[in-house]
Amino acid sequence: MKDDITLKTRREFLRSTVLGGAISWTVPAFLANTFSALQAEAADKATQVATGRDSNILVILQMAGGNDGLNTVVPRDNDYYHRARPRISLAEKQILTLNGQVGLHAGLVGFKELYDTGHLSVIQGVGYPNPNRSHFRSTEIWQTASDSEKIEAYGWLGRYFDNACSGCDPTVGVNIGRQMPQAFASKHPIGVSLDSPGNYRFISGEKAKSGQMSSTEELYRKLNEPENEMAENAGGTVSAISGSSRAPVSALDFLERTALDAQISSDKIRGIASRVENKAPYPGSQLGNSLKLVAKLIGGGLPTRVFYVSQGGYDTHTNQTGAHERLLKDLGDSVKAFVDDMKAQDNLSRVLVMTFSEFGRRVAENASGGTDHGAAAPMFVIGNKVKAGLLGTYPSLAPSDLSLGDLKYSVDFRSVYAAVLEEWLHTRSAPILGKQFAPLQIV
Amino acid sequence: MLKPLARGKWDFTTAAHLLNRAGFGGTTLEIDKLADLGHEQAVAYLVDYEKIADDTPDPPWAKPDPERAQRFLEARRGSEEERRKLQREMQQTERQHMIELRAWWLHRMAKGPRPFQEKMVLFWHGHFATSVEKVRESYLMWRQNELFRREATGNWLELLIEVARDPAMLVWLDQAQSRKEHPNENFAREVMELFALGEGHYSEKDITEAARALTGWAYDRPAQKFIERPFWHDRGEKTIFGKTGNFDGEDFLQMVVEQLQSARFITAKLWNFFAGEMPSDDLDTALAASFRRAGNNFKPVLREMFLSEEFYSPTIIRNQVKSPVQWLVGSVRVLERELPPPMACFALTRNLGQDLFAPPNVKGWDGGLSWITTNNLLARYNEAATLVNGDATAMGGMNLANNPNVNMMVERRLRNSPIGRVDVDKLFSANERSNKEALVSALERRLLQDKLKPKQETALRDFLDSKSELDNETVRNAIRMVMSTPEYQVT
Repeated sequence: MKDDITLKTRREFLRSTVLGGAISWTVPAFLANTFSALQAEAADKATQVATGRDSNILVILQMAGGNDGLNTVVPRDNDYYHRARPRISLAEKQILTLNGQVGLHAGLVGFKELYDTGHLSVIQGVGYPNPNRSHFRSTEIWQTASDSEKIEAYGWLGRYFDNACSGCDPTVGVNIGRQMPQAFASKHPIGVSLDSPGNYRFISGEKAKSGQMSSTEELYRKLNEPENEMAENAGGTVSAISGSSRAPVSALDFLERTALDAQISSDKIRGIASRVENKAPYPGSQLGNSLKLVAKLIGGGLPTRVFYVSQGGYDTHTNQTGAHERLLKDLGDSVKAFVDDMKAQDNLSRVLVMTFSEFGRRVAENASGGTDHGAAAPMFVIGNKVKAGLLGTYPSLAPSDLSLGDLKYSVDFRSVYAAVLEEWLHTRSAPILGKQFAPLQIV
Repeated sequence: MLKPLARGKWDFTTAAHLLNRAGFGGTTLEIDKLADLGHEQAVAYLVDYEKIADDTPDPPWAKPDPERAQRFLEARRGSEEERRKLQREMQQTERQHMIELRAWWLHRMAKGPRPFQEKMVLFWHGHFATSVEKVRESYLMWRQNELFRREATGNWLELLIEVARDPAMLVWLDQAQSRKEHPNENFAREVMELFALGEGHYSEKDITEAARALTGWAYDRPAQKFIERPFWHDRGEKTIFGKTGNFDGEDFLQMVVEQLQSARFITAKLWNFFAGEMPSDDLDTALAASFRRAGNNFKPVLREMFLSEEFYSPTIIRNQVKSPVQWLVGSVRVLERELPPPMACFALTRNLGQDLFAPPNVKGWDGGLSWITTNNLLARYNEAATLVNGDATAMGGMNLANNPNVNMMVERRLRNSPIGRVDVDKLFSANERSNKEALVSALERRLLQDKLKPKQETALRDFLDSKSELDNETVRNAIRMVMSTPEYQVT
């Protein structure tokens, strides 16, 4: 639980600034501006929040369903590859050459440009020991950074929030989507999940005159306003009993605080979304829209350290070729647009995008022109601070080098997480990942 | 020993607390009835539920399907296309069954005659947290749910044995694959770590040895039931908790429940579930002693809990965050409305972070304050509009899967099945519907069994004053707004 000092200063901050939130409802632009300034100021003097306008930002991009890594970063002149995939292997002209050995799928034009300009690093052969081939379980392993045999309750980003973000703004983690990813699960839940700014708000259900609040909206704000006597220890009903896992604040006290957080962050997010303009053309896809929103929130100065977006559809068991190409095209174009937008905002140097997928796919194609669940696959890291180029080694496709028909990993994904935590978010990785993984040199 | 609650303390507030915690809450009338019964009778009414008939029919599909295996076999002989087609069809059917199963259970909680039994089923589901995401068969999930109902307040050892042999559990924790040549330790580990003892009360060696003892307990997939396979069982000597012998699964579980820690562990978890906080050491010692005196049977200790002064302490009453299921079922009960259609129920609870039959992992839901984030607090406020006004748009839709087709199907069904709204005339008397003061206190009594803060009361009155008349729409909005407060989220 957040400690008393944090709580107190936080309350003082809220009392002095935010109670005006309702008043300024009709001037969201002004509100948003004032907010980020005050927030940054309060953050500086009051708490050790890991947020603020100048902090680094991590964008996680989940390629859900198990991306076929072999047709994403493609081996060139490889007999094993063409023999294992007579129908779906990519010919030389369907590849964007990176070097003598490998190329990118032709759909990844966006990534090729990023690669050529030194913004993209390709980490080859990423996986973990004893790979699990169930979507559910393998996703869980990636999200919690656990060993394959071990169940972890909390996500790796959740543990980061627990460790480094005590007293943070709830928007320290923002997921674009409806369900909070398991990676965010934490002992002290924090973070915001929204598919559109319009859904992250109190829905009044009543029509209002233009420029005015509806009467239910007004009542919602009053009912959820903190008491004036929101002094230290308000509602602290639990002092009488002792024990280990008792909450240090009453449930109601906690709820009141969360209600206020919800109202403030909702106002702020909607303010930013209506005020900030995107400065690059994005594809009209779900991923494109998600990254568009992330760009706005970054541009508007939301004190977020981790954004989470996802792109579904990679479970390509049947007739994979066309579907996979569309997905990768969307991926490359969306991320490229996002990078351009960040550059135009002058924020690119503080943003790092990292992709992952729960597993790669089998080396051999199946009888339906698709591929089944496999193991190791590449990850991408994007930004202007990355060690651009190819990292790790391309897994061998020689049948004797495969494990049950799957590629063997050479880079444990947790050494990528370790690098992101230590080199990018500037926090110790061992307490978060459970042990020390040698950070891969990616930034 | 727990102290019994003083006779004079049994009143509307304590009766409401009992019904909220041992059940899913109820109307003012139901609470008054419990208060009139007297404390012991009220507890007996809930706890001795066997005396009340429950004739809920099983879901029509909830039976073994012997042709299932046959269909698989035939499909295997067919082309890959045919196989995948069958797989898709089965997935669709399973998905549909799971939506029905969730509604079937929620209905038992909301409308069934034995709320306490269903509350216990919910406890066991969170305790032996098994997910359909891995088990993949609605029939097995239903069977496990029925097992929890049958053994809801029975004997600890019997329950553990039944759970160990439950098909869904056999699949969920891989016991189905465990044999003497390579015992799978998953179930053995979780029994000790999560189900019965807790970390620090067993060794790694105990786990490997217990896994050996459990070999031979297997799953007969074609028959969809437990089977004992003598040839898979390791007949060698094992040493568990310092004792050596040729133990089997039952021996192992027997040795688990003989540990005093096992009684402490499970009674503490029950106290936490019902009282909303972990018991102090002294209290847990008393609970565990009572549990053992009663032969490791649950009902006597639960009765003692509900009769105890400790359970009605002011630090406990109205200091528990409602779980999403408690929120939905409790709301349906106090609003005296029907449960929304199955798909809507699924969306409503899932959006709030509790998807029945799909807990996040074998540790179950964290519960408590962790139910509440800025996100799902706003979702609770908005879903209140769904329940009160029938406004499906307030629910904000949902994303079920990474499969856009499934999501579209869900959204379509949500749009097409009307949710229905609250009948104001049924909830409030003519006087309450015309007198603002009376309405405010009726709202507080029905929805909170407590008062709002004075400032909130004023705001609510101002809202009512701003309306030209107290029509049904205004009253419904007032209900919804009382549900959109921090106060409504606790029980």
